[in-house]
Amino acid sequence: MAESTTMLQPDVHPTAHRRPVWRDIVKARWPYLFISPFYLLFIIFGLYPTIQSLYLSFTEWKGLGPIKQVGLKNYTLLFQDHVFWQSMENGVILFFMYVPIMTFLALVLAVILNSKRVRGFRLFRTILFIPYIMNIVAAGFTFRLLLEQKYGLVNSLLGIFHIPPVPWLESMWGGRVSLCLLVIWAWLGYNMVIMLAGLQTISNELTEAAMIDGADQAQAFFYITVPMMRPVILFSVVLSTMGSFNLFGEIYTLTGGGPMNATITPIVDIFNQAFANFRLGYASAMAYVYFMIIFVLTLLQVRYFGQRVD
Amino acid sequence: MFVRRLSRTLGDVVMYALLIGVSIFMLLPFVWMLSTSLKPADEIFALPPIIISAHSSLKAYIYLLQQQVSILVNVRNTFVIAFSATIVRLFFCSLGGYGFAKFKFPGQGWLFGFLLGTMIIPGAITMVPVYIIMRNLKWIDTFWPLIIPGAANAFGIFFMRQYISSVSEEIMDAARIDGAGEFAIFWRIILPVIAPGLTSLGLIFFMGSWNDFMGPLIYLKSPQNFTLPLVIRSMIGPVGRTVYDVQMAASVISLIPLLIIFLIFQRRFLEGITAGAVKG
Amino acid sequence: MSRTNLIKKLVGVILLSVIILTACGTSATPTAAPQAPATTAPENTPVPAQPTAVPKPTGKITVWGWKAAMDVITNSGVLDDFKAAYPDVQVEIVQYSPTDVYQKLPLALQAGTGAPDVALVESSHLAQIVNLGGLTDLTDLVKPYVPKINAYKWPDATLNGKYYALPWDSGPVVFYYRRDVFKAAGLPDDPDSVSKAVATWDSYLDVCKTIKQKTGSDCFSLNKANNFARLYEMMLWQQGLGYYDDQGNVTVDSPANIATLEEMKKFWDAGVTSDQLEWTDGWYAELAKPTPADKPIASLVEASWMGTFLKSWIAGGTAGKWGVALMPAMQAGQARAANDGGSNFVIPDQSQNKAAAWAFVEFVLGREQSELKLFAYSDFIPSLETTYSDALFIEPDAFFNGEVARKVYVDVVKTIPTAHVYGQFYSQMNGFVATAIQKVGTGKMSVTDALKEAATSIRQQTGLK
Repeated sequence: MAESTTMLQPDVHPTAHRRPVWRDIVKARWPYLFISPFYLLFIIFGLYPTIQSLYLSFTEWKGLGPIKQVGLKNYTLLFQDHVFWQSMENGVILFFMYVPIMTFLALVLAVILNSKRVRGFRLFRTILFIPYIMNIVAAGFTFRLLLEQKYGLVNSLLGIFHIPPVPWLESMWGGRVSLCLLVIWAWLGYNMVIMLAGLQTISNELTEAAMIDGADQAQAFFYITVPMMRPVILFSVVLSTMGSFNLFGEIYTLTGGGPMNATITPIVDIFNQAFANFRLGYASAMAYVYFMIIFVLTLLQVRYFGQRVD
Repeated sequence: MFVRRLSRTLGDVVMYALLIGVSIFMLLPFVWMLSTSLKPADEIFALPPIIISAHSSLKAYIYLLQQQVSILVNVRNTFVIAFSATIVRLFFCSLGGYGFAKFKFPGQGWLFGFLLGTMIIPGAITMVPVYIIMRNLKWIDTFWPLIIPGAANAFGIFFMRQYISSVSEEIMDAARIDGAGEFAIFWRIILPVIAPGLTSLGLIFFMGSWNDFMGPLIYLKSPQNFTLPLVIRSMIGPVGRTVYDVQMAASVISLIPLLIIFLIFQRRFLEGITAGAVKG
Repeated sequence: MSRTNLIKKLVGVILLSVIILTACGTSATPTAAPQAPATTAPENTPVPAQPTAVPKPTGKITVWGWKAAMDVITNSGVLDDFKAAYPDVQVEIVQYSPTDVYQKLPLALQAGTGAPDVALVESSHLAQIVNLGGLTDLTDLVKPYVPKINAYKWPDATLNGKYYALPWDSGPVVFYYRRDVFKAAGLPDDPDSVSKAVATWDSYLDVCKTIKQKTGSDCFSLNKANNFARLYEMMLWQQGLGYYDDQGNVTVDSPANIATLEEMKKFWDAGVTSDQLEWTDGWYAELAKPTPADKPIASLVEASWMGTFLKSWIAGGTAGKWGVALMPAMQAGQARAANDGGSNFVIPDQSQNKAAAWAFVEFVLGREQSELKLFAYSDFIPSLETTYSDALFIEPDAFFNGEVARKVYVDVVKTIPTAHVYGQFYSQMNGFVATAIQKVGTGKMSVTDALKEAATSIRQQTGLK
């Protein structure tokens, strides 16, 4: 942090260890003013709704008419709601299905592009990144067309190789795989670009030195590059984790949560309960339980990874 | 030696194969989207699939332009929302980032940590009550819910703080000695200096707003207020009959502006994305 | 000096922001009409309907509906008739898919703003919206029509003795079949013989096996993994069953419901159905295949409005090759009639122009001439029984090889039992039961287990017993 405040507070030490005095606060009115919009908006659109959501979770309400107090009923119902727990399970399953593959592939592609052994760096980087800019509704519908069991392009292409038609959207695991394909398609380039940036800050000397010493490319990759890339990989994984529980548009357009609730995630479930079934109280309870679980998971993740990165 | 050579070449071949294979995977949906948008409706489900139809036409696009609510209106809506949201966000986030980056004030650490912490809260928690707030403000079916709540968001402030902290203080100090007010310093000195960062972040914001689906889904009602993602979704026809060619045409239209912007500002855009990962 | 500069800057910024934001704001004024330009004073007690109402309603009304239905109103000439009768009323038709109506209408009702003056709602979702609140009580206005309309349509439109909708059409379920495929399979292809041949679901199954064997055609489409319970609901409806009983108890796992699903499952077990998902372009393609050699889908148990769709945009090229017979019954002698679909008009309470809104609804749906015109164009069977005596209903239909299909529809519609399929919780019940059927179809669960699981979830989530 820059010590640029000497002009504002000429006779005051950096306030790290002193109790703030009213004079300091008044003197610092500008930064407070500058950062205030965030807190204002947060109070209105973040804090207050969060509290109201808690209140609603103890009620039954259709959004219209009287609000009925029901105590813990929503929470008890929630613990028996196997669609909700299925959605949580799906979040975990989907995470393990696409995050490792996507992260690994992003890393490999970044290394390849960075190695200057292939031509057309900029072209490939652009092509691989482009899916990110497509809006998810368009992407979802296009994938639906492509993965249609009988008439879709993908199964037709597979048919050329005598592979029987795959029930992409007609089976539970097919639905999950299709969803992962869509997510990977949309985010692979993005993650690759991040990895590339990380790679470019690592000097090549280490790997070159290792290869002169007799290591082959794979060894150099696994024992030198990957460990040095840990912070970047971690960043990518954390983003993907948060992403896997927040999938909405992808699911809404591609599978609708099916088949047989195989691809429904908590956000989709909450949305349905609130805006399709008009059970606002129940949806709020669901959101809270979900929040608690995510909160704990994130804490754990930060703890665990935080230790390992050191 | 020869084996070494061979394995190197094989390695190259494998790498190219992988790159090209993944590239095809990336481009295939775009190709199919374009192809479907140009096909006559009865060829969309032909077996074997037709990639370039002999009967290609711009019929679907013309239909979209001539609809009850022409798609140009939706393009305009999407653009207006994205642009306004971006400008507003850039202003407040750079202001906030500046406040955190270049000043010391009591409670700074806590306040910033709190800000970061709010990024964990899933949007789902506030979905319903925010909707009720918007309803009470009579902002349903207007663009406001898509612009105001995110005006000063944690990600943007975080990004800007990183960026601004690397700005040299000399000019600021000089301006203060000259008696310039704090806001003037921000407006006339800081903003021009961080223009590249603003561009990068702005691109991220713009794209995010352009492609936003859930927000418009909840808040926009009348077709004349729809954004492009909603238009695409509304093409699910009655009784399950979807006009695929028109839907794909709308998708293509939704893509073109972003594509143009992306290709022009590629470098800045990618810089913006990587800034969080590498400097963070 | 710096102070004034600063103030100028701040003002500049604020002005700029305000300009930008208001520029955005003004482009977003909703036009779903809460303000009607020049109207008679909106009345809280709707004017009793008289053919020569004085004063006549004026102003603008917004009508929400899906394209297939709204096109019927426009293209059949009824909209023009209305404009002629009520020259001072401007009608704005806004097209939404049914799904969008069911999301946006409740949101608008809840928000207290943004709802149209008239909205089209399918019978399947009507009860849920009526129960939500926010609709105009139409009891006094529809009273004269109550005895004239199919009795089974009213329960979904009523709440606590009050009426909130006027029905448009009914969906009598019949048996559509391809004459050419039946002939190719060596079966009689005239409607009476076919009706006899498929008198029960079991005998239908035998017919299907014959067709499959002799021609290779699939009997009908019954998707497994994405099944949405449509056929199952028809089978329940014809027996007067449903998802709940008169007391409101959940019957999803009752022995009768289980037996019905077991019956449906027989068709999967026999391998005589197509797995093509219904209501997709692939399905339409299979229905439209021209000759038996192409192995088109041989039959279809669906409501009468399907006939129109087949004729127009699904299988127009197969005119003359179809026939209409009676749907199979669960057991010999039981009802061979069920309902699928049907829609109604509702008037949200927010409407500022209820007089004009009701004028529209009554003109389009309550007037025999209008209903007949709509029917002539669309083949949507009117729920208004007084129309059935018209000559339209005895016209032969070239698409069905000269058969008088409409008479079949009318005969069926008169025998549709009241059932408990639709209702306030239809979306949720249908969702859980559909999942159960999907699990049965993909072999993951037995019928009994799947329905019991669905029933348990439904009981928990709805609070019913």
